[in-house]
Amino acid sequence: MRDFLSTKSAKILIATLAVIIVIAILGATGNPWVSSAFNFLTKGLSTVTATFTEGHKDYDELKAENEKLRQEAADLRTQLVDYDDIRAENARLWKYYKLKKTNPDFEILPASVIRRDTNEAFYSFTIDAGSSSGISVQDPVITENGVIGFINSVNATSSKVTTILSPDLQAGAVDKKTGESGVVSGSAILGEENKTAFSKIDANAKVKKGDVIVTSGIGGVYPADLILGEVTDIQYDDYDAAKYAVVKSYEDIKNVTNVVVLTDFKNKGEIKKGAD
Amino acid sequence: MDRRYTVFRYIAYSLELLLLFILQTTPRLLPEIFGSKPLLLIPAAITISFFESEIPAMFFGLASGLCLDLGYSDNIGFFTVTLTISCFFIGLIFRDYLVISFLNALAFNAMFCAGLIILFFLFSYVFAGKGDVLYYFSHHYISRIIYTFICGILLYFLNKFLYKSLRDI
Repeated sequence: MRDFLSTKSAKILIATLAVIIVIAILGATGNPWVSSAFNFLTKGLSTVTATFTEGHKDYDELKAENEKLRQEAADLRTQLVDYDDIRAENARLWKYYKLKKTNPDFEILPASVIRRDTNEAFYSFTIDAGSSSGISVQDPVITENGVIGFINSVNATSSKVTTILSPDLQAGAVDKKTGESGVVSGSAILGEENKTAFSKIDANAKVKKGDVIVTSGIGGVYPADLILGEVTDIQYDDYDAAKYAVVKSYEDIKNVTNVVVLTDFKNKGEIKKGAD
Repeated sequence: MDRRYTVFRYIAYSLELLLLFILQTTPRLLPEIFGSKPLLLIPAAITISFFESEIPAMFFGLASGLCLDLGYSDNIGFFTVTLTISCFFIGLIFRDYLVISFLNALAFNAMFCAGLIILFFLFSYVFAGKGDVLYYFSHHYISRIIYTFICGILLYFLNKFLYKSLRDI
């Protein structure tokens, strides 16, 4: 062992590890210059390749999408009689200008997905805008179909997004129909099906299939009334038998390519009365 | 001594790592198998280490680890440290103790791909206290390990070809 440690190679290995550890500590204590430099250097290439594959869909996907669209068209026709459903569907069809028009306090910043995290089970991704565009940590990330997640970390030219399918995200939420409140958070099993859980609801809650779940605005991280998804099932926790609703996002979070970051909105950062 | 081919070989390895990083991170590019995509940079660094001595191997491990860590987070972390150390010792072992053969390469590739991904899973999910760990492992990580290992076989032949074609005699 002593012989090995006295070799030139071992000394280079130890010196390299020492440098890595020092840089890692500096990065972890709020000075991620290596990460910023890395993202600055690779962003251009990632943007080009992401743009190249943005519209790429294979036959099965197109077929599935076609089926989905047909189904949605049929659903829309049947929903015309139900005001609440029409309202929810209208919300799905928000365009960004509409979003801004109806929420003049929203400061919105469109961004594109340039990387997907291959080694993470909750479909987190990187977008092509960072602090130089005004993005900060915890800014909500949305599309016209509802909330996608929040900004987990940010550097000058890119940002990492944690999705609503992740258990790391906990958003105060409300059932639009019944007004009952709870928390939306992800799990492995639900995340795979583009679903999340609306939990911490009352045992007698009247949440039911088809209800639209929106953000409560409590906590100051998300503005109120952003759509999180639609209830598809009511279930009970295996451990404590607590009731929760399974919520399916209107957006295909696994494959989303364009998003909008809300860099500012009214009451941002303000904790409303009744928040945890 | 003329080391021109060695320089070309290192440039080729570097371009290979860059290409694999892009392949791995670009949305909708690589097909998913059972919901998983491979971590191409792990077998790339390991198979480069079969053919290089410990110091160059260590630096290619370091580069791969940096791409893996910084591609998704703001911190240098798990893969930078583990790949730097792993590649150093693989380079050392294959220089001094083992002969490079397809079977040796398969065994080392399987051992390190599985070992590093399982260790990452332990640190990121099990020790982090996230729920449904068995579900994650069976539905995401087993397929990821196998997919990564299979890509490693192809990368072994690619790096063997680069080594043999760009070698100073």
